[in-house]
Amino acid sequence: MGGLLQEVALAGDDIPWLEGQREKGRELFLAQGLPTAKTEAWKYTRPRDLMTEDFILTGTDEDESHEEEHCNYHQGECRCGHHHESQKALSFPSYEIRFENGIMQAIDFELPKGVTIKPLIEAIYEEDAVKSYLGKEIDMAHYPFAALNTAYMEEGVYIAVERDVSLTKPIAIINHTHACRQNLMAHLRNLIILERGAQATIIENFNYSGNEKSRYFNNIVNEIYIGRGACLRHYKLQDEAYKAVHIALSRVKVRENGFYESFCLQKGANLARNESKISLKEEQAEAFVNAAYMINGWATVDTTTDIEHLSAHSKSHQLVKGVVGGNAKGVFQGKIHIAPNAVKTEGSQLHKALLLSDEAEIDCKPELEIYADDVKCSHGAASGELDKEQLFYMRSRGIGEEEAKQILIDAYLTEVINTISNEDVKNWFSDSANINTGEEKC
Amino acid sequence: MTEKKQTPEIADESGDKYKYGFVTDIATESAPKGLNEEIIRLISGKKQEPAWLLDFRLRAFNYWQNMKEPTWAKLNYDKIDYQDLYYYAAPKQKVSPKSLDEIDPKLLATYEKLGIPLKEQEILSGVVAVDAVFDSVSVATTYRAKLAEKGIIFCSISEAVREHPDLVQKYLGTVVPYTDNFFASLNSAVFTDGSFVYIPKGVKCPMELSTYFRINAQNTGQFERTLIVADDESYVSYLEGCTAPQRDENQLHAAIVEIVVLDNAEVKYSTVQNWYPGDKDGKGGVYNFVTKRAACRGKNAKISWTQVETGSAVTWKYPSCVLQGDNSVGEFYSVALTNNYQQADTGTKMIHIGKNTTSKIISKGISAGHSNQTYRGLVRVSPNADNARNYSQCDSLLIGQNCGSHTVPYVENRNKSAVLEHEATTSKISDEQLFYCRQRGIDEETAVSLIVNGFCKEVMQHLPLEFAIEAAKLINISLEGSVG
Repeated sequence: MGGLLQEVALAGDDIPWLEGQREKGRELFLAQGLPTAKTEAWKYTRPRDLMTEDFILTGTDEDESHEEEHCNYHQGECRCGHHHESQKALSFPSYEIRFENGIMQAIDFELPKGVTIKPLIEAIYEEDAVKSYLGKEIDMAHYPFAALNTAYMEEGVYIAVERDVSLTKPIAIINHTHACRQNLMAHLRNLIILERGAQATIIENFNYSGNEKSRYFNNIVNEIYIGRGACLRHYKLQDEAYKAVHIALSRVKVRENGFYESFCLQKGANLARNESKISLKEEQAEAFVNAAYMINGWATVDTTTDIEHLSAHSKSHQLVKGVVGGNAKGVFQGKIHIAPNAVKTEGSQLHKALLLSDEAEIDCKPELEIYADDVKCSHGAASGELDKEQLFYMRSRGIGEEEAKQILIDAYLTEVINTISNEDVKNWFSDSANINTGEEKC
Repeated sequence: MTEKKQTPEIADESGDKYKYGFVTDIATESAPKGLNEEIIRLISGKKQEPAWLLDFRLRAFNYWQNMKEPTWAKLNYDKIDYQDLYYYAAPKQKVSPKSLDEIDPKLLATYEKLGIPLKEQEILSGVVAVDAVFDSVSVATTYRAKLAEKGIIFCSISEAVREHPDLVQKYLGTVVPYTDNFFASLNSAVFTDGSFVYIPKGVKCPMELSTYFRINAQNTGQFERTLIVADDESYVSYLEGCTAPQRDENQLHAAIVEIVVLDNAEVKYSTVQNWYPGDKDGKGGVYNFVTKRAACRGKNAKISWTQVETGSAVTWKYPSCVLQGDNSVGEFYSVALTNNYQQADTGTKMIHIGKNTTSKIISKGISAGHSNQTYRGLVRVSPNADNARNYSQCDSLLIGQNCGSHTVPYVENRNKSAVLEHEATTSKISDEQLFYCRQRGIDEETAVSLIVNGFCKEVMQHLPLEFAIEAAKLINISLEGSVG
């Protein structure tokens, strides 16, 4: 475990409450260790490749210049023969926050009134609100990677939108890894606070440049607070390198009449888990939690959701679709929890997956935990291969097999991508989804 | 060896709704309390078992000692003190009875009261052969001679060990090994009786076979073990029923049912589980930890589990199908009803190994009062199970604000040609349906039971006729007091 928990000097060690949280994170991570096959929450996704001693925490390496040089060498073109732009720009205007190898870069745009965006560590020093939010809703005793993240809590972004402020452009958080460096480890912590009536769209994009076979570890925790009547649309594209480990937890708390919409497309990494734990704390809170994954090779990609309905008239909807080829394994674990007294609630959940090869695997565990009687809850799960009749229909009309398959896969994923309410983002995601399947000949 | 005479704790049928809550006042002989190698040797000795079976028991016991009681189920119950139980209790009989006439009339009366006829009355239509298990021993098995004409073996497992050791040794522990789980290991070490069925090649069993389990003695665990072997091209329908007296303390029941189905054979296994569920404050009741598993070893083999679970304070039960043979079929139909403070964690496992295997799961759960219920199921398709097909449906009905209903399905697919579907819904009885019934002059309680019976119909129709009628009544009784 020495590799994951290192003695490093972190900024903000003069703040007792922050140090206290970090210490608690260290303790709780040590107490739990890495999840094993016997850990129910990680039953299907075994965190392999993390037991080694060789991880280097981002920002602690003394030889930064070496890294730059190495990366310049690979800039643009790299061994895999594909063209990688060091920054994949979004196809539409946004407030772009950049992280390079887990380090936040200076912000070069002007902020609209009522919006604060700054590095987390600065916010810890400058914003009083941070103390009352940071780490408050994270159950570190049951989330080992959140505990580990807390132990290193320093890098990340603080976003606060004041009362009744609506952002016109999305905020994009671009997490870019120069994958020429091996064994980097980054623990990002983002704190997002939407005050009453505020509206914002946030896009997270994880990408890399350089050697696609390099290994690194990103461990992200988002803490999201949605105030009364506020609305957050949260989109994420996970396109990490093939040997990367990506573990993310979004802890979302939604208050009365609040609205949270999320969509996450995962198509990279060797081991990835995108987990959302959402509490609909007050009446009329609503959440749409959708996701898609398209994977290949030896990847294990996990989508885990846990939605707690804690109050009456709350609603949640989930649609998750996956396409799995090669020797890959797709995992979906979804849980809807309805507390006593949370009556007139609605929870629906649907997971569908396509298996493209003989070695692919799908494991799924949709769970309902219901303690109130006047509710409407349902879940469904289905898995199978591409419909042979549909394939035949297209083949008989002169469409080649590969192309026909591609059309069917695209159509399959379009259903879930169409749930995105922002047109620009929707188009961006369908482009991202298509390019990949084209290359990999799913 | 202690001998004691039990005094009835609760007078005949004085209890509220549980009409089987009486105690039979009968002289019992039991082994001393506690569990150790001595006790196991004693049980084995009592049953004049061969060395291999004693060895099997001791291996299981040694293995069990290093095991931990599982805690993953959504069940809360007081820790069981395994040393504070009697592992062997039997009605005292001078000599083993040669025929039904020699059986203690008190025992016969008990079964009559339970509605289980042990006299062979040929005039009855829909003849059922019964193996009656009272505490740790089988007291009678009816229609044996008639079944023997066809080559069918239906007897208690202790007898089978003595008379058909080859068959028992060949199959015992092959479906549920003694290392399987905590309760299965415990059962393997101390099982006392149960039924053994062998249906020879090509034989369709002419009548329903049935076992009736009754726990009578106090502080006694019942550990029965049933083994059913259906040889090529055979068919059998098997029924299981159970009751226990009403007592304030909890009783332990940990059983194993193993079924082997060979080429083209079919087994239908139906259970109506009506152990004492505890009183309305959750006091007493049976702890029911059961491992049931069927292996479809042959081609085109078929196993169908149907269960109606209304009893027990705590139920932990997952009848499973291992579909090894190509084209084999597994089915699971279940109605579980919990009321008051009952808890049930039940479901099934469908393991698809052979090609073209199909399975179907229909589970209906009804929770009322303060009860909690969980459906926990696994569907696993291994890489070689081409064209496997599964359909699962789990519906839950909640009655009242204090109950809980949970669904935890696990679906693991490792074959692309497999098609798996799972759906689950949870809701309460719709006001519209209730209003419709009320409007036509049906009182609320009757309306609820009408709706609940409709909800369960899909499962009930898979029960043999006599059982289906009994089960419907049972559901109505169990629901009493949960409305309004």
